[in-house]
Amino acid sequence: MRSVGVVVILAVAIALSISMLIARDAVTTKINSVRASTGNTITVSPKGFYGYSGGGTPLTTAEVNDLLDLKNVTSVQESLSEELQSSQTSLKSPTPSGTLGGRFGNFGGGSGGSTGSDSSGTTFTIPVRIIGTNSPGNALVGGANGGGTEKLTSGTSFSPTSKSNVAIVGATMASKNKLKVGSTFTAYGKTVTVIGIYNSGSTFADSDVLMPLTSLQTLASASGQVTSATVVVNNVNNVTSVTKAINAKIGSKADVTSTEATTEAALAPLNSVKTISTYTLFGAVIGAAIILLLSMLMIVRERRREVGVLKALGAPNRSIIGQFIAESTTFTVLGAVVGFIIGAALSSPIASALVSSEGSTTPASGFVRGAGGFGGGGNGFTPPSGTRLPGGGLHATSVSNTLTTLHTSVGWSTLTYAFVFAVIIAALGSTVAAATIVRIRPAEVLRSE
Amino acid sequence: MLKVDNLNKTFHTAAGDVHAVRNVSFNADNGEMVAIIGASGSGKSTLLALLGLLDAPDKGSIDLDGVELANLDSGGRTKYRSSQVGFVFQQFNLIPNLSARENVLLALEYSHWPKADRARRADEMLALVGLDGEKSRRRPARLSGGEQQRVAIARAFAAQPQLILADEPTGSLDKSTGQKIVALLRSAASTQGATVLVVTHDEKVASQADRRLEIDDGVLAEIA
Repeated sequence: MRSVGVVVILAVAIALSISMLIARDAVTTKINSVRASTGNTITVSPKGFYGYSGGGTPLTTAEVNDLLDLKNVTSVQESLSEELQSSQTSLKSPTPSGTLGGRFGNFGGGSGGSTGSDSSGTTFTIPVRIIGTNSPGNALVGGANGGGTEKLTSGTSFSPTSKSNVAIVGATMASKNKLKVGSTFTAYGKTVTVIGIYNSGSTFADSDVLMPLTSLQTLASASGQVTSATVVVNNVNNVTSVTKAINAKIGSKADVTSTEATTEAALAPLNSVKTISTYTLFGAVIGAAIILLLSMLMIVRERRREVGVLKALGAPNRSIIGQFIAESTTFTVLGAVVGFIIGAALSSPIASALVSSEGSTTPASGFVRGAGGFGGGGNGFTPPSGTRLPGGGLHATSVSNTLTTLHTSVGWSTLTYAFVFAVIIAALGSTVAAATIVRIRPAEVLRSE
Repeated sequence: MLKVDNLNKTFHTAAGDVHAVRNVSFNADNGEMVAIIGASGSGKSTLLALLGLLDAPDKGSIDLDGVELANLDSGGRTKYRSSQVGFVFQQFNLIPNLSARENVLLALEYSHWPKADRARRADEMLALVGLDGEKSRRRPARLSGGEQQRVAIARAFAAQPQLILADEPTGSLDKSTGQKIVALLRSAASTQGATVLVVTHDEKVASQADRRLEIDDGVLAEIA
């Protein structure tokens, strides 16, 4: 019965260790994943450029292309954002004017866009956004262009170097204008053919139109001009050095903002969970070791006479110690097997509970300059799901939405660590048994008769 | 033959030195059964511990068949004890989770008895004490006190030691069973040719021995 009790207590401690180990691994994987996919970008915009409100002097393609020569830069995504009034396009903006549009609208009237009026009766039109990009598929990444990743729901995309008057349009824009693949619309007096429809999961970004960068530069008479560039760095640890290098190169003409700090801020809850799980892990391992240690101490003391008898019969210390090590190892193995099964089963809910708890106490803050300054539309931005973020933190939202989704799994590293911990626990428990056994003198058996 | 000469043992305690064994000298032949009588605290257990190589004397010699044992180190005492000394305790002290046969086999294992012959020897010894068959497979808890002491005797004699030390072997047994155990010890001593020292305070047990010694305040004297 006592042995069963020892195994059960050990199993509980080991289960806690295993669940913390798995949770820690899951959180670490998530952090690395987020850092690798999110925190390694740097946004470069013309100095003074304020979202779609404009400002500043556009950068040139040549200036931006030079950034590719910087160490640790893997790619540079260039884009040109244009806002077309109703007189410049046949498209109508799907974005409702709403309260904010009424308050801040200043684009003037017209029949082509989404119209509204402020309290004084002034009408205005929400412009249609067209983004020229040399990186179809990632054009929205970086926040300035709306955030998210466009996924084609029909048709095809264009090549990065295309010069054709083709476009892929967001699902919301397509719906508003009844566009489908093969449809056409006009922009700057030219006919543009829709070759694809995309969905990014963001209402804001799905109201955009994406065209080849060169094509839009030609249509908008903005040859060689770039309003935003997203520099992708090979490793999040190099973001700071690359940011400095970009500033040194074109800092006088551009605002350079990295996602590193804000990514770290968004990851703070996960880092907290990682720290908690690490401390709990070691606490549980030490607890398990102490449980076994005390149990073995108790068992050896209770069997003091038996040890004395064995010594009197001529058993060497190593033989008796070996016997008790076998017992403590058996306890540990049984406890580890039961604990591993329980721990593996509990790891996912425990990890989720920890992340939810930390997420609720440490709200994610928006990061990456959003589409601030947009002159109206809607009743304020509502992310696809999750928390409403100030400042139009579209990109932050997409990250924070995935932070609470952890995938727990038992890998070889977990098994290896669990084995190492079990060995440590058994060794500690056995050491105490051995030290006590060595001190027992066989003559005590006679004296206690 | 056991030759003990001028054996001394003193324990240094906070209350002062305790001279447990003082200048003890005696001889005992092979096959001879010697009773050592003494009151509680007279030094019986200490003398037994010294003779059984469970403890080292401060002074004196213990010669067993020409081998000096008093100056052996801890490892040497353990090795010699496993093959040349057998113990029979008042509380039997069998290993509770082993069967009677396994208890005997354990002693043979520690004495490095040839592995192939251990089972035969264990069965032979259990048969000698009348515990062959089904009872040899029982654990101590399922044996009577007398039966457990028989197993202890079989265990003590199994490795053919030169010296058997019995500490109050009948102390936990009724009178009838106790007499049978003493008779068994005596018989085994003569059969195996071992020297048997029986520590007891029971005069009837002592009277069955070949010789009687009395220890008082650590000093041993022959009783005529």
